Amino acid sequence: MRIKLDKGWSKRLRELPESGMGYQRVDVRFTDGRELKNAVVLNGEELEVPNDFGQVEVTDVGLHKA
Amino acid sequence: MLRVSDTLRRNLLTQPETGMGYQRVDATLRDNKTERGIVFNAELLVLDGEAQATRRSYPNTNPYSILLKRSSESGVEIRALRVLPREGMAFRGLEAKACEKKAVPAKDGATEKTKADEVFKRFSAFQNDYRVNADGSLSRGSYATTEEDAKNVKTGSDAVARYALPNSDPASYRFTIKPNKDSDIQYGTVEPANGQPGGSVEVIFTTGTQAKTVTGPDKIPDR
Repeated sequence: MRIKLDKGWSKRLRELPESGMGYQRVDVRFTDGRELKNAVVLNGEELEVPNDFGQVEVTDVGLHKA
Repeated sequence: MLRVSDTLRRNLLTQPETGMGYQRVDATLRDNKTERGIVFNAELLVLDGEAQATRRSYPNTNPYSILLKRSSESGVEIRALRVLPREGMAFRGLEAKACEKKAVPAKDGATEKTKADEVFKRFSAFQNDYRVNADGSLSRGSYATTEEDAKNVKTGSDAVARYALPNSDPASYRFTIKPNKDSDIQYGTVEPANGQPGGSVEVIFTTGTQAKTVTGPDKIPDR
């Protein structure tokens, strides 16, 4: 599923390079302590997450570190 | 024997043949298994396993000619095709260098400068592409492709396959980029990824582009 990122995260991602045309590979941290590595953000605002992440808030997003 | 989809066929036609009329490939099938085979005329895939089985049944006949005569399709979907590099080919120095250069993704390419009047295209599933700024500039680190490569993209689905995009939504919004001369740019080849073949040209505008250099988008068909 996709969740829409807050404008603050989108603004930050806009300053960072893409991973390919129209998307960025990111590492995401959530309020419940879970982390998602190498997730895809489309157009700087739509984060693809497994279904069980849908109700959790994002606390940090940065480009994926290999 | 499997029939190649229109999208994959168009991609194959941009890549060199292994021999006259055929290409050796690694094919990723619907079950995500990869098998080696031969694509004839960019439209019919014969897997090596099929060829071997036919050779056992008809030891004195070319197995490919038998398989090609059979028109039935197995119904197994081909998800991606990767043309294998030709072996044993002797390249002259410059050609070999050019091949090496083409083989790396843009992020690993050397930073070069754009020439005067060069044109690039960017395909997006989003009409409001966030990398295109209000002043008509492109944010630093944004991807695009050459105008020449973009001529192979007739639909948004073509763009998904050629540029190995993770978003399966058709990238049907096409932006035109005309950067100023001497803008920083990295050239490279799209690596196969996300179940897509890639293989096309990608560029990165390392430091972005200037105001009023991006126009569009115009809309191309989704499929």
